[in-house]
Amino acid sequence: MNVNAVRSLMAIERNEAEGRGGNRRLVLRAPADWPEPAPGQFLMLHLAPPEPPRHDPLLPRPMAVYRTERRPDATLLEVLYKVVGRGTSLLAGYDPGVALPVVGPLGRGFETPGAGETALLVGGGTGIASLYGLAAAARAQADVHVLLGARHADDLMGLADFEALGVRLSLATEDGSAGHRGLVTALLERALAEADGPTRVYACGPTPMMQAVAGLAEGAGVPCTLSLENRMACGFGVCLGCAVHGPGEKLHLVCRDGPVFDTTELRVDALP
Amino acid sequence: MSAQDGTTAPAPDLSVDFAGIALRNPVLTASGTFGYGVEFGPFLDLTRLGGFVAKSLTVDPRHGNPPPRIVETPAGMLNAISLENVGVDDFVATKLPAIPDGVPVIASVFGTEIDRYAEVCKRLTGVPKVAGLEVNASCPHVKAGGIEFGQDPQALATLVAACRSATDLPLVIKLSPNVTSPAEMARVCEGEGADGIAAINTLQALEVDPETRRPALANVLGGLSGPAIRPVAQRIVFQIAQAVSIPVCGMGGITCAADAVRFLLCGATAIQVGTANYLNPEVAGEIVEGLAAYCERHGVARVADLVGALDRS
Ligand SMILES: Cc1cc2nc3c(=O)[nH]c(=O)nc-3n(C[C@H](O)[C@H](O)[C@H](O)COP(=O)(O)OP(=O)(O)OC[C@H]3O[C@@H](n4cnc5c(N)ncnc54)[C@H](O)[C@@H]3O)c2cc1C
Ligand SMILES: Cc1cc2nc3c(=O)[nH]c(=O)nc-3n(C[C@H](O)[C@H](O)[C@H](O)COP(=O)(O)O)c2cc1C
Ligand code: FES
Repeated sequence: MNVNAVRSLMAIERNEAEGRGGNRRLVLRAPADWPEPAPGQFLMLHLAPPEPPRHDPLLPRPMAVYRTERRPDATLLEVLYKVVGRGTSLLAGYDPGVALPVVGPLGRGFETPGAGETALLVGGGTGIASLYGLAAAARAQADVHVLLGARHADDLMGLADFEALGVRLSLATEDGSAGHRGLVTALLERALAEADGPTRVYACGPTPMMQAVAGLAEGAGVPCTLSLENRMACGFGVCLGCAVHGPGEKLHLVCRDGPVFDTTELRVDALP
Repeated sequence: MSAQDGTTAPAPDLSVDFAGIALRNPVLTASGTFGYGVEFGPFLDLTRLGGFVAKSLTVDPRHGNPPPRIVETPAGMLNAISLENVGVDDFVATKLPAIPDGVPVIASVFGTEIDRYAEVCKRLTGVPKVAGLEVNASCPHVKAGGIEFGQDPQALATLVAACRSATDLPLVIKLSPNVTSPAEMARVCEGEGADGIAAINTLQALEVDPETRRPALANVLGGLSGPAIRPVAQRIVFQIAQAVSIPVCGMGGITCAADAVRFLLCGATAIQVGTANYLNPEVAGEIVEGLAAYCERHGVARVADLVGALDRS
């Protein structure tokens, strides 16, 4: 449990389309002394229209902290999101100035790779957003190679930001509109074959992608860390709604024990 | 509020007596929605609350149901968490000591058999900070073929009697709403020596994913909570309060002070905040403040004066 989490009312600073694929970039104005988030930590955003109070959607939505910027008078929190349902559609309609209740930073984030290690970061769909902070934090000491996959080039989130980081970047799209035509796991197979020295795989994306990534990492004898995107109600360990299976009888709470897990802590075949 | 002569009216008296437990205000938090209290430390000064009801405890730790366990529905949510908890002994040894002094803790008691319920009651009796027990009577009775204790008057009477003889702590029975007449069940509890009634637990429900044609929860059935159930809960609290003379703790969909007032007017002596804690971990404290403001605005000197004061003229 992250005891640093706070609840704050955050005004929307920016909320704009990112490319043509239904992805959007949200910038929230948090207090200047907002706690320092670790890469992979997340927020719970309450998205029902704030005034008058409404109950639809009832539950807040989890979103990764994409990037932060400290200013003397505020902390700017960036979130990249995809419009997929009721909550995110409402969010897309909010203008700058609208204030949202936000709880965070929550969860257990990534441990950054050790000096000299090769870090293979595999992102798909909205999972790409969870990996940016790790790529930014790891590039100083590790050899970071980011592998991103999507259906179409327009769906790739944050592409320009990853390019600006100066890390190695490989793309895969199912329709071939950018990079390799096919699945991102094909890129991972190649990267694993080329990697020498201590290597670690990190992945966040749709469950079938993460299961395939975990299988490839295991086959290559390389440790693998996954960040899970479960349904949540509270986000801070009290509703017990976000449980996933660990080995044996063990159940983990994604919001409290994760969202970041080593594959050895999980039953990867039983992920929701 | 300033009176006309410039003096300040005394702050409203929010204290209530619920089932023999002195509460500084009538706002409690509901079992299963407030963890073991400590999780709310970063958000809320627990000493502002009337008290809290901890996650239901069984004799041994339990893991609960497989995922997915929750799904959102219009103005509500379904959950099927089941019996997951740390077990009564771990609760006493590791969770209770972390609770600040002066916060009445009501421990929630769960079991699959009558003697298991009674054993949990026994182990919680005489433990410092435990101000009372709330028996969760909505658990399926294994030996009776899975029917809930709270759905069968006979089984409920036996359960309450067993818990009554296992403890001298204030004993509250939390009733299932999934019966034809909750008021009749409340009368059964009163007859067996219960000190109070808590209502309602979640409404049995089912959500379906039309794309996959599967139930949304692994357990198929779940319990509906949140604002969607509030009017049903108010009706049940109203009926129970008319039927028994022991006090009622009302809950179901409370998200703000106005909702709390609604339950008090329906006859609840105290209220519990449940699902709303997930939406806003500070909400219980805001409801305490809002209740005080309501009393000031309406010239109510004692919050207890609102209990059952529904104006049906
Ligand atoms: C730790 C964490 C970090 C996340 N970070 C991001 C992020 O940075 N950017 C981003 O865009 N999204 C992120 N997500 C996913 C995001 O929470 C969901 O997309 C969002 O809750 C959808 O809300 P909605 O109301 O728009 O959709 P809903 O109306 O609730 O659902 C629309 C459809 O999506 C499905 N769905 C909803 N939530 C999930 C889920 N978590 N997993 C699988 N299916 C789901 C529903 O079953 C439904 O079919 C993250 C999730 C977690 C747990
Ligand atoms: C996720 C979840 C877990 C719950 N667990 C328990 C429990 O362990 N014991 C219990 O008596 N009630 C439990 N409840 C029921 C609540 O205490 C409460 O009776 C119900 O949710 C109605 O109130 P609400 O609409 O304010 O949430 C649970 C409710 C939810 C949503
Ligand atoms: S989302 Fe509530 S416990 Fe994880």
